[in-house]
Amino acid sequence: MSSTPILDREFLEKLERLTLQWQKSFPGLVGGHNSSRFAGAGQEFLDHRNFHHGDDLRAVNWRAYLRLEKLFLKMFQIEPRVPVRMLIDNSRSMATYEAVKFDYARRLAGALCYVGLVRLDTIEIHSFSDRLGQRFVCSGGRHRFGPVVECLTAMRTEGHTNFVSVVRQFISNYAQRGLLIVISDFLDDQGCERALQYLADFGHELLIIHVWADDDRTPPWDGELELEDAETNERIKLELDKPARERYTHAFDSYSNSLQRMAVRTGGRYVGISTSQPIEEVVFGPLVRIRGIA
Amino acid sequence: MHLLNLTISQFLVLFGSVSAVMLALYLLDRSRRRQVVSTLRFWVAAEQPAPVSRRKRIQQPWSLILQLLSIGFLLLAIAQLRFGPQAMAPLDHVLILETSAWMGAHSGAGGNDRTSRGGTLMDEARERAKAYVHSVPSKDRIMLVRADALTTPATAFEPDHARVEAAIDASQPGATALNIDEALTFARQIQTQSGRRSGEIVFIGTGRVVEHESSPGMRIPHNLRVIPVRDSVENCGLRKISVRRASAEPDLWEIYVTARNYGAERRSVNLVLSFGPTPGGAPAAVRIAAQRLVLPPGLDREVTVRYRTRAAGYLEATLLPHDGFARDDHATLEIPAQKNLTVGVYSDQPELLRPVLTASPRVNAAFRKPSEYRPGKDGDLVVLDRFRPSVKPECDSIWIDPPAEGSPIPVRARLSSVPFAQWLSDHPLGAGLRAKDFRLDATSVFERAPDDIRIGEVQSGPVVIARPGKPKIVVFGFHPGLSVLRYELATPLLFANILRWMAPEIFRRWDLSTGSVGIVRTALDSDVQDSALKVISDQGTPVPFTVRDGSLVFFSGTPGTVRVLAGDREYVYSLTLPQLGESRWQIPPEARRGIPRVPQTGGATDIWPWLALVGASGLLAEWLLFGSFRQRRLRRSSAPVVMKKAS
Repeated sequence: MSSTPILDREFLEKLERLTLQWQKSFPGLVGGHNSSRFAGAGQEFLDHRNFHHGDDLRAVNWRAYLRLEKLFLKMFQIEPRVPVRMLIDNSRSMATYEAVKFDYARRLAGALCYVGLVRLDTIEIHSFSDRLGQRFVCSGGRHRFGPVVECLTAMRTEGHTNFVSVVRQFISNYAQRGLLIVISDFLDDQGCERALQYLADFGHELLIIHVWADDDRTPPWDGELELEDAETNERIKLELDKPARERYTHAFDSYSNSLQRMAVRTGGRYVGISTSQPIEEVVFGPLVRIRGIA
Repeated sequence: MHLLNLTISQFLVLFGSVSAVMLALYLLDRSRRRQVVSTLRFWVAAEQPAPVSRRKRIQQPWSLILQLLSIGFLLLAIAQLRFGPQAMAPLDHVLILETSAWMGAHSGAGGNDRTSRGGTLMDEARERAKAYVHSVPSKDRIMLVRADALTTPATAFEPDHARVEAAIDASQPGATALNIDEALTFARQIQTQSGRRSGEIVFIGTGRVVEHESSPGMRIPHNLRVIPVRDSVENCGLRKISVRRASAEPDLWEIYVTARNYGAERRSVNLVLSFGPTPGGAPAAVRIAAQRLVLPPGLDREVTVRYRTRAAGYLEATLLPHDGFARDDHATLEIPAQKNLTVGVYSDQPELLRPVLTASPRVNAAFRKPSEYRPGKDGDLVVLDRFRPSVKPECDSIWIDPPAEGSPIPVRARLSSVPFAQWLSDHPLGAGLRAKDFRLDATSVFERAPDDIRIGEVQSGPVVIARPGKPKIVVFGFHPGLSVLRYELATPLLFANILRWMAPEIFRRWDLSTGSVGIVRTALDSDVQDSALKVISDQGTPVPFTVRDGSLVFFSGTPGTVRVLAGDREYVYSLTLPQLGESRWQIPPEARRGIPRVPQTGGATDIWPWLALVGASGLLAEWLLFGSFRQRRLRRSSAPVVMKKAS
């Protein structure tokens, strides 16, 4: 990563009016900003249910008891604090083409972290490749953004992508459901759709951010080439011409569409980003349009 | 069809080498490149066929062919491919036109008759040069070189013959003699350096050279053509005039005139010398001498004339009657005035100083009483003998044993019966002073300032001291006429040194000469230091010179006056006479002569500009079709636009 700051101050000021959004209802303690369909110790009436032994007597509807001589319990709507988790791909494929994808992913993660910190959300950041990296938790407002920048700056690319292993480790370690933002190039030879499906089935709401470099989608080379996989070091010899390049781009686009379909099917959201697009344009454009932030 | 710059074998070797390098670079550029990518899954999904294992296959043969053809065309352009027979290829000729001083002589049968003479030799040479230019094929290039003592190219190799003719018309006779060796060497070298076929080296002129410059071992070019200009001019001319003052009588000028008969017949001429205040034979000029000279052919004759004058003026020498070359029949020499040093001596005992101040005829000493002292009316120098003036003199002054309170240099002590220590003989003021073993009865010792010059001193300090600047001052602590020094040779020597130091221009010796331009040699006195030498032109600019074997040598290519300052002697060279060659260059028998009679026609056609254009166009087309331009365009056309899918 270059020595320039991840995000400049002017851009951060623009981010302060945004909020991370999710669509699912998650249980949790009060203090958040998204309402939940789960009842709790809130102020706004939600529903009644029959009283069971052990319920809090303070929530019994005594007026209904006097009229009907049956105990009903009042339930209230809450706005729980939902953990926002962010998975950042740091596999070696992110380091190709002078690591533009990795730099881009870190800057985008920093922008989303800042949005969450401003709204007093709790953000958990994980890097991952073939296993889950160390967790970094930040909360408490915008003045806690400095450690986030240090965490992102300290990240290095290593290993190869293995979504299945990472998802299995993630589900076993973190039981609380919430918003899960995955920033990656999703280039896993074993396929990542099934692993992402596990996460959705477990109850997480997925926000899939697919990052690619221009050379990833439209290779500029011509003639005889020997291509080497950045993660597996496998090699393949090709003779590249215009039809071959078009076939390659078509295959790449098909894969992106499959990721998008999977996200929509599981109630999540998908956004595909080229590293040639400015971060500010992405945040206030595609991410707002898919209601990832508002 | 032929190649002008390269032979066929050279072209093939060059083309083969360039082609091999290009093919190697091409294969290297088009060889399989290794590229690290994020994943291989889409390449497999895109069902890319693996290439054949042969690695050095030429993938874009038309690109290579186009490059090789373009390079071939460019090499042919460099080799200067021409259509037509090689013998008809354009040539580069060097035309050497003699512009020596002798070319200003009038030619023709009546050359010696001033009234009926025709044009000059230069006119004839110009006509012949233009005739030669007309005989040269129009595509040949000609360089005009003007040759006298120096060889000067007037044009480059010029395809436009009209320009060459204009340069020929602008050529004028110079002031020096021809140096044919240097001219031919220059022509040979310049033809070697030109990239085209060498044509002829043509010399047009009389071929009169200075005796020592016609070297017999000179290398004659094989392509030399000589177009001689006939010069049957009978000429007698002044060769040198020298004027110097007689050593015994400063008012007497000794004039040496040397005349030479350059012709083939004995001639009788009149030498007339006149002296006047202005040059050009003014009415006020005085005829000094008129002498009839009989000059045998090819020999010099020297005449000596004495003339007495102290005035400045112009000495003019004229040979009559004038002949076909009048430039050496007349010479003018500027003679400076003889100045005297006026000395005012204030002394009560003038007989003590009279012997040392009246010995030189260039010193006019007036002896007066100290009471007659009037400041400002003392002349060039004033001598104050034990006398303190009320007002200090503004001119240079010599103070002899001044009173301590009135001395211009402070007196440190007054000593009696003190032995004299030494003279400071490393300065011109103390030059030649040897007397040492004597005592001074009474003397003042002076307080020396940093710039003061000690001339003589005792143990306690200087007793004779000089202060340079304006005015110059010399102070004696004792009276030399009243001490033992009166009988020593050191006393007149000391005063002579002081007077020469105070007024060097009065005692400067003059040697005036009129000669011809070119190399000038001057024999120097043995005591002249190299650091004291200055050679100055009449514009005041320094002239380069060398000192070899006790002689100063410098070169002047243009007429003018050059002054040589060598210590107390000044040589003035009025280099106004033309330099003439005494001998004639022998035209080598193998050289062609005359103007070619049949003008050559036709010639080869230059096509190298078109070849260069085709080669450059081919390279440009290759770059547009196969080069980075196409790759850049390709990348622009496939720029990613995928945001619509993201939403």
